[in-house]
Amino acid sequence: MKIQHQLKIISNKKITDKLYHLVLEHGKLAAQVKPGQFVEVRIQESLEPFFRRPFSVFRSQKAVEIFYEVRGKGTGILSSQVKGAMLDVMGPLGTAFTLPAKKIKQVVMIGGGIGVAPFMALSDALKNRGHDLLLLYGGRSKEFTFNMAEFKKNGCKVFISTDDGSVGVKGRVSELFDKIEINPDTTMLYTCGPRPMMASVQKFAQEHGLKGQCSCEEVMACGVGVCLGCVVKTTAGYKTVCHDGPVFDLHEIVW
Amino acid sequence: MNLSVKIANLKFSNPVTVASGTFGAVGECWDLKAAKQLGAIVPKTVTLLPQQGNLPPRIVETPSGMVNAIGIENDGIDAFIENKLSMYAKIGVPVIVSISGKSDEEFQIMAEKLAGLSSVSAIELNLSCPNLKHKVLVAQDAGATQQVVALVRKIVNQPIIAKLSPNVTSIADIAAAAEAAGADAVSMVNTFQAMVIDVEKRKSMIGNFTGGLSGPAIRPIAVNMVYQTAQRIKIPIMAMGGISNAEDALQFLIAGATMVAVGTMSFIDPNTAIKVLDGIKVYMRKHKINDIKDLIGFIK
Ligand SMILES: Cc1cc2nc3c(=O)[nH]c(=O)nc-3n(C[C@H](O)[C@H](O)[C@H](O)COP(=O)(O)OP(=O)(O)OC[C@H]3O[C@@H](n4cnc5c(N)ncnc54)[C@H](O)[C@@H]3O)c2cc1C
Ligand SMILES: Cc1cc2nc3c(=O)[nH]c(=O)nc-3n(C[C@H](O)[C@H](O)[C@H](O)COP(=O)(O)O)c2cc1C
Ligand code: FES
Repeated sequence: MKIQHQLKIISNKKITDKLYHLVLEHGKLAAQVKPGQFVEVRIQESLEPFFRRPFSVFRSQKAVEIFYEVRGKGTGILSSQVKGAMLDVMGPLGTAFTLPAKKIKQVVMIGGGIGVAPFMALSDALKNRGHDLLLLYGGRSKEFTFNMAEFKKNGCKVFISTDDGSVGVKGRVSELFDKIEINPDTTMLYTCGPRPMMASVQKFAQEHGLKGQCSCEEVMACGVGVCLGCVVKTTAGYKTVCHDGPVFDLHEIVW
Repeated sequence: MNLSVKIANLKFSNPVTVASGTFGAVGECWDLKAAKQLGAIVPKTVTLLPQQGNLPPRIVETPSGMVNAIGIENDGIDAFIENKLSMYAKIGVPVIVSISGKSDEEFQIMAEKLAGLSSVSAIELNLSCPNLKHKVLVAQDAGATQQVVALVRKIVNQPIIAKLSPNVTSIADIAAAAEAAGADAVSMVNTFQAMVIDVEKRKSMIGNFTGGLSGPAIRPIAVNMVYQTAQRIKIPIMAMGGISNAEDALQFLIAGATMVAVGTMSFIDPNTAIKVLDGIKVYMRKHKINDIKDLIGFIK
């Protein structure tokens, strides 16, 4: 399968001061992406920044969409890219979320910050399948929250927490865990976000015997499982986030 | 146009190969069609026993390069021979197997395992490993280098390529020691010892504390080292260090390298090695050079 694509930018819109929505012409890529998989974007042709930057696929229906936070050098340059420019994109890469079995009643997506991105693709895949979809979103402040209408269109019940209380409940996303139905047979958790948050989800799941998956983040060089640079510690030793992950069993990761 | 080159009696269809540790499983980073065009392939170094590798973070980007401390994570040589070797051999180009030992004895056992295998075209000795006896890397000690190469020379018939570390006072001296011990070629350079510090946390950005610098940042230093070494030894040099395009590769060839390997830049653009090969052909046509051998070491 060809994994390197030259994709044209259809739009690159500012959503808040920190968040951007990038839409790329689909090429052959959009149809191949499964929820949870990611792409590696070469920010520009020069050697600065050196590594490609990994981004979850936010949506892949008519186009390849990325939802990103301006964090540093690479995402800063990306935010200045304009419509019509070409981007060198590798993908789809990594593992996808395992879709919940029929008997699962409540699907809980717990996203911290930009970690919410892959849940758009997941909820696209899960809408109208008979599950109750719950999105618990923890953001730092107003700058990092955005209109959740698209999630709601997919049937998600949305709850928000912010560190400063500017939107939703004040505090960490764990303040929202009381929305989770504690039933090991019919509840499935998905989480993506900062390490401490995912560790807290794992702890909660362990305490209540809940199943789940998490999507991990590490700095990457190759993105395809060759360099062994992006490993996380698991119960079965080191595994690569780019190839063995980014989606792992929630209980497999050793934080 | 003739691009073929040789190390001892082993012939390669062209001088472009990949650097150990940067080329992986077929069908992922490398489609088979591309890999078949290479002069040879060099899989990641294997050790006698499985190694779990270093504590993360293992990589950090730097200006035009990266620092890595992977710690040669691998399943050990037996698993390599059983599970991976035939897959690499199926590509249909020579397979150069890279090995590293913690002692002379480990090198000896691994060499014995590879000696009879027809799918192992050549053996690269990664000498950037601690030498328990001398307290330095093998590649940092001419005597230790000579000893390991001579030992393996007695065991295997395949060509031996000694991979050298640039972290020495005179890399040409070490290359000469390898040549004297019976190496058929040297490959150079491995990564440069390096460090990156997170000033906010006042901590190293690498779990292993220090690592090795690679990528275009090291290229001019590597070109000079290849040039200096080419003046000293008669055996071929396989050169690497930040090659990102044909022009970079041509610098190494003109400096005296017989083969060139693409490493880190494959991470940034998996098609780099093929672009290098195509670019060398374009250059030869433009300069009316019919045989690549008329380029190697011909610096005016
Ligand atoms: C599988 C995967 C999926 C991702 N999906 C998305 C996504 O959908 N949207 C999005 O905005 N981001 C996503 N990221 C994170 C994104 O790759 C980083 O934010 C980006 O690489 C930062 O690049 P930069 O050059 O702007 O920042 P840099 O200048 O490189 O760094 C700025 C700061 O961010 C930190 N940082 C940089 N990269 C990472 C990283 N990978 N993990 C943790 N901290 C980091 C640095 O330590 C530094 O403090 C994902 C990462 C992975 C591994
Ligand atoms: C992530 C990574 C892993 C490497 N692993 C090995 C290895 O296992 N054995 C080895 O001999 N060299 C290893 N190297 C060194 C390369 O083979 C090469 O000598 C060096 O990186 C310089 O070339 P480059 O700048 O083109 O990458 C590794 C380099 C990198 C970046
Ligand atoms: S980034 Fe190279 S193995 Fe994951």
